[in-house]
Amino acid sequence: MNAREAILSRLKDDSDIDIATEAAALLGTPERPAVDIAQVEAEFLARLALPSVSASHDDIETIEELPAAVARYLDAQGEARALCLPPDPRLSGCDWSGFALHQDAAPDEAAALAIARKGIAETGSLIFETSPQAPMLPNFLTLHHLVLLRVADIAPWLEEAPLAGPQPRAHYWITGVSGTTDIEGTYVRGAHGPRFLHVILLRGDFPHMSEQ
Amino acid sequence: MSGAPAEATRFKARADAALADRILKVAVERTAGTAEAKRAVAVDAFPDFQAARTRAAAIKDHVVAHLGHYLEQFEANATAAGAKVHWARTADEACDIVIALCKAAKAKSVARSKSMLGEEIGLPHALAEAGIGRVETDLAEHIIQLADERPSHIIWPAMHKTREQVSALFKAKHRLPHEEETIAAMAESARRELRTQMLGADVGISGANFLIADSGAICTVTNEGNAELSLVPPRVHIVTAGIEKIVPSMPHAVHMLRLLARSATGAALTQYTTFYTGPKRPGDRDGPEEMHIVLVDNGRTRMREDGLAEMLRCIRCGACMNHCVVFRQIGGHAYGGTYPGPMGAVLTPVLDGLKQSRDLPNACTMNGKCQEVCPVRIPLPTLLRGWREKSWREGLEPQSLRAGLGLWAWVATRPRLYRMGTGMAVRAMRLLGSKGWIRTLPLAGGWTTYRDMPKPAAQTFMDQYRKERGR
Repeated sequence: MNAREAILSRLKDDSDIDIATEAAALLGTPERPAVDIAQVEAEFLARLALPSVSASHDDIETIEELPAAVARYLDAQGEARALCLPPDPRLSGCDWSGFALHQDAAPDEAAALAIARKGIAETGSLIFETSPQAPMLPNFLTLHHLVLLRVADIAPWLEEAPLAGPQPRAHYWITGVSGTTDIEGTYVRGAHGPRFLHVILLRGDFPHMSEQ
Repeated sequence: MSGAPAEATRFKARADAALADRILKVAVERTAGTAEAKRAVAVDAFPDFQAARTRAAAIKDHVVAHLGHYLEQFEANATAAGAKVHWARTADEACDIVIALCKAAKAKSVARSKSMLGEEIGLPHALAEAGIGRVETDLAEHIIQLADERPSHIIWPAMHKTREQVSALFKAKHRLPHEEETIAAMAESARRELRTQMLGADVGISGANFLIADSGAICTVTNEGNAELSLVPPRVHIVTAGIEKIVPSMPHAVHMLRLLARSATGAALTQYTTFYTGPKRPGDRDGPEEMHIVLVDNGRTRMREDGLAEMLRCIRCGACMNHCVVFRQIGGHAYGGTYPGPMGAVLTPVLDGLKQSRDLPNACTMNGKCQEVCPVRIPLPTLLRGWREKSWREGLEPQSLRAGLGLWAWVATRPRLYRMGTGMAVRAMRLLGSKGWIRTLPLAGGWTTYRDMPKPAAQTFMDQYRKERGR
């Protein structure tokens, strides 16, 4: 008997209950933090500002304003206008004149930009998935992590974070900057990954969505 | 077991040494005290946390009752996503699988993201024996790898180290160590040291906080982001996970995640929560080309059969040890097994044998605090009492203890004799006391070496009761 058979043979389940129905019933109405769904953006921004998340944010009306918002942030931080930009047509369609752009993150990458599919008000989390247009590594190697988030994509609770149906290779939630409390429980930012998280809220739509 | 941790025997000697170590007490208190305070704030802010705990326990009980069904579902979905699923009955089988995979990948170095299951199966030792370089990427695991020590806590493995000790270690071992004596500078030194090693690893090895049955995804949670930096760049990602880590679906995982971070660190969520479903897809710019998931039993099916199913609810948050008065005094190393604290005292007899570890269930005051804070309502004191009873039934207690308890039972079933004996003992103890305290007591040196005993009242409870009734 191989290991698989040996383990499963000890876990035989002779009950005739409908397991899926029982599992669904266990969820019921989940206990979760209160979120005012009429104020979901304000709730999200309040969580972003918590010390445990400690992200800054900016506002733009249209995606055309994105390069200026990125420049504002980098200038304020004293960083060069150099940016790791994923091959996402929604980003590459902007006018990045004056920026040094690249797609592959360096081991000591200074700034990288990404689009979050969702923002979650309950925790101030940003939700991402990998795809050919959305590599994962730049978002972890960079010192300054800049994230574009459509205001319309802010949802109240974590239940709305996952995608329905087939899952991408990686689906990940970012709730703050890389931190550690491993030495005497004292919190330090920038343990391995980003030390700064900056969210740019887009009030309008993405171009291809406007055209639909 | 490969590279089994120090046996849980000689517990008393280790506990004595820990109690005498003032630096250890300071280090443990700094971190556990902070965790306790932060958890209390997080729980107060969560509406109906008690109902959430009940739901979490019910989810885990459902999974454990139908574990075979969910493991097969997970295997089918992970395989469909392109991962290869392996099964291991024992720690040795699990290590053999991981080493074979590393050798097939011609791995010279592996980057490891903190996994208690990896410690449980002795993976660091197995990698060393196979001549494969290992880079621990969690900051605390990095500290203890440099110090050549074992984890002393499941969330803060280097909890026993003070900042001064970490500073000295980094200055001795890092290529470009910190100059400022601040914790931030020390963390920066580790960042410099580890980043190139993570990016240059051939294989990334992680555990899993959850296995999602209906998608075949594995979930890791970290605050540092070291899991992602360890698992995305290498060509091969190997996951070792206990079979009890299954949850039916993402909504079930969401519920457990809400409880995990609050119970562990007092945060609403860890900074990074990632679900990996199979290897790199066509067109992806990063990610491993191979993903292997090793499902490890190592005593878990036996726990399910032997009345320890409730322990399989454990989500490894560490709240029980942060709130344990014994752990707070002696730290994690004194327990001697992979897992310290109350949950460790239940698990170590399963993993290392009751004969080796029978002192651990006895090192409990039964104050119930661990059960009170456990996010999945594990009845830890009841399970510990179960080990005590088993130890007694199997005759593992020393003859002196058995004789002493036998004598006590004989006297206790003779009320007049018992009252006479306790009355004499109280009078004798009062003679030994001074200013309300007894500093030394014959036959109780284990107690009075480290603390004074309160001087008993002038009369026993029964004497006072009789007097009150006589009025």
